[in-house]
Amino acid sequence: MHMKWTKFVSLLAVLIIAAGTGCKRNPQATTPLPGYGKGSVGPERPAGPVGPGITGENIDGIPLPENLKDLLADPNQPAVLRDNTVYFAYDGADIRPSETSKLDAIASYMKSSGNKAIRIEGHCDERGTEEYNRALGERRALAAREHLVRLGVSGAQIDTRTMGEDNPAVPGHAEAAWAKNRRAAFILLQLPGGVGATNPQ
Amino acid sequence: MRNVTCFAVVLLAVFSSFAAEEKGTLERLFDPMGFLKPVPVSISGFSGEVDSVLKNDLLFMGVINVPVDQAKYLVTGSNGSRVEGGVTDKVTKHPVMPRKAYTGGTLRSQTHALADDIAQALTQLPGIAQRKITFKTHTRPGAKEIYIADYDGHNVKPVTSDGVNVAAPAWAGRNILYYSSYKLGNAAIFSQNIPTGQRKAIANYGGSSISPAVSPDGSKVAMILSKGGSPDLYVSDPDGSNLRQLTKTREAESSPCWSPDGRTICYTSRERGGRPSLFKISASGGGGTPIPTPGAPIPSEPDWSPNGKWIAFTSLIGGTFRIFITPPDGGRVYEVAEGEDPSWAPNSRALIFCKGPDGGKRLSLLDVPTKQTKDVPRVLESNSQPGWAR
Repeated sequence: MHMKWTKFVSLLAVLIIAAGTGCKRNPQATTPLPGYGKGSVGPERPAGPVGPGITGENIDGIPLPENLKDLLADPNQPAVLRDNTVYFAYDGADIRPSETSKLDAIASYMKSSGNKAIRIEGHCDERGTEEYNRALGERRALAAREHLVRLGVSGAQIDTRTMGEDNPAVPGHAEAAWAKNRRAAFILLQLPGGVGATNPQ
Repeated sequence: MRNVTCFAVVLLAVFSSFAAEEKGTLERLFDPMGFLKPVPVSISGFSGEVDSVLKNDLLFMGVINVPVDQAKYLVTGSNGSRVEGGVTDKVTKHPVMPRKAYTGGTLRSQTHALADDIAQALTQLPGIAQRKITFKTHTRPGAKEIYIADYDGHNVKPVTSDGVNVAAPAWAGRNILYYSSYKLGNAAIFSQNIPTGQRKAIANYGGSSISPAVSPDGSKVAMILSKGGSPDLYVSDPDGSNLRQLTKTREAESSPCWSPDGRTICYTSRERGGRPSLFKISASGGGGTPIPTPGAPIPSEPDWSPNGKWIAFTSLIGGTFRIFITPPDGGRVYEVAEGEDPSWAPNSRALIFCKGPDGGKRLSLLDVPTKQTKDVPRVLESNSQPGWAR
C-alpha cells in the first residue's frame, strides 16, 4: 500500500515536472503584449505538452500542517538547510533545474530521521506590490514544499511562511541583490518538549 | 372655487420657479469620464491654519478656490473661538448652505467638518475630510506597525505595537481594522476594535493567512489563505467562522477587494500561460473571470470605488509602479499617477496611495479628475498600504 502510494507520487512528480518545464512563465512580463485585453485571454505562447489528465492548474494542493505554524527556529541550524537556499526567476515560482540538487540534499536529510519539522520561508525581491509579493513568496515556499513531498518527505513535516519583500537577504536595488532575494529558505523547527528536533534520543 | 384653483396654479408657479432656481444653483457639470468638474468658489473670511486646511480639503472634493470674478459661489465664514461658514450663490445670493457654527474638537477638526458640509452641498458627494486613513509604517528592520491618522496625515495614532511584521490594514466601518500580523508565528489575520484595543485572530492556519478585505456592509471578510496547499481566495464571516473557499488554483491569488454592492470580489491571479491579471468572482462562488487591462501589465492591489464605476490598481511598467483606473469590466485603462497601492476616498474621486523607494515610501493624495496631488507628512521611516475609511 505504502509502495503503491510512493509509486503514484513519483509518477505524478514526473508528470508535473514535465508539465512545469513545458510551461515557462514569461520572466519579463513588464511590457504590454500584443493583443492583450482585446478579448483574447489565451496564453501568449503555446503552453507545451502536459500529461494525460493533468492541466497544471487542477492539481490539488497538499494541505499544510496546523501544528507547526507557531514553532520557533531551532538554535542549531544544520548546514544542509542553511546552505541550500533555493533561488527563483523574476516573478516566477517554478523550481529551476539548477536548484533541484539542493532539494535532493534537503529531502535526504529530512528522510534520515522522521522526527524533524521544517519551515520554508518564501521571499521576493522589491519589485511587485507588497501583497502581490506576499502571495508570490508563499507560492515559492509551497513550490519547494511540493518538490520535497514528491521526493518522499511527508507534507506533515513542512510548514510554509511568506515574508513577501519584508526581509531581503541582500540590500540593493539591482539584479545582483534581487537575484539573492527571490528565495525559499529552509529552517529547522524546535519541536515542543525540548531540544530534541535534531536529536530525538 | 375658480379663485381657489387660480390661487393654487399661481402658488405652483411660484414654487416651480423656486425649484428651477434651486436646480440652476446646483447645476453640476461632468467631464467626459463622468467625474464632476471642479466647482469654482471664492473663499473669504478665514485665516491661518483654518484657511489652508479648508482650501486643501476642498481641493480633493471637487471644489476649487478661484478669484472672486471667476467664482460661481461664495464661501464665507470666520474662525475666532470656533469655525463658522456658509455658501451662497454669487449671482442669486441664494444660500446653498446656510451658515453653520462648529463646536467641539479642535479648530482643525471643525474645519474638516465645514469642508465636508460645503462639499456635500455643492457636489452632492460624500465628504472625505473627517474619514480616517490607516497605513503601515516601518519602525525598524523586521518590525512594522499599523497606524491611523486624519486623511491629511495629522492626528497620527498607533494601532499596533508588537514589534513584528504586519501588513494590509483594512477598515470594517470606522472603528475596526483587519490586518495580517506575524505576532503568533506565521502570518495570521486579526480584527481589532480601535477604541477598546480588543483584538482577535480570525484566521490563523498552517501556511500564510494574508490580505484581509471587509465587504462594504461588514458582513463578510475576503482573504488569501494557503492552508489548502496554494494561496487561494476565501470568504468568512467577520469573526472568521463559516469559512468558504472561492478559488482553487495553483496560482497565487492576492489582494482581494469588494464591489460596493458586496456581490463581487476583484483580486489578482494569473491567466493560463502565466500572465498576471485582475479577476472578478461572485462572492457566492463560481469561477473567476479575467478583467483585461491592456497596457497595464502585472496589475495588483485593486480597489473598487464606492460608486462602483472604477477599479484603481497598480501596474508595474519598466520597473516603475503606476496607478491606473479601469471600468469594472476592464477593456480600457487610464493612468492617473506614478505610485502604488491606491485606496479610494468615500467620494470616489480622490485616492490615497504611496510612492517612493523601498524603505522610504510616503503617502500622497490625488484628485483623480484634476490630477492635483499633495504629499502626506511621513510618520517614522516608510509608509505604505494606505486604506481610507468609507
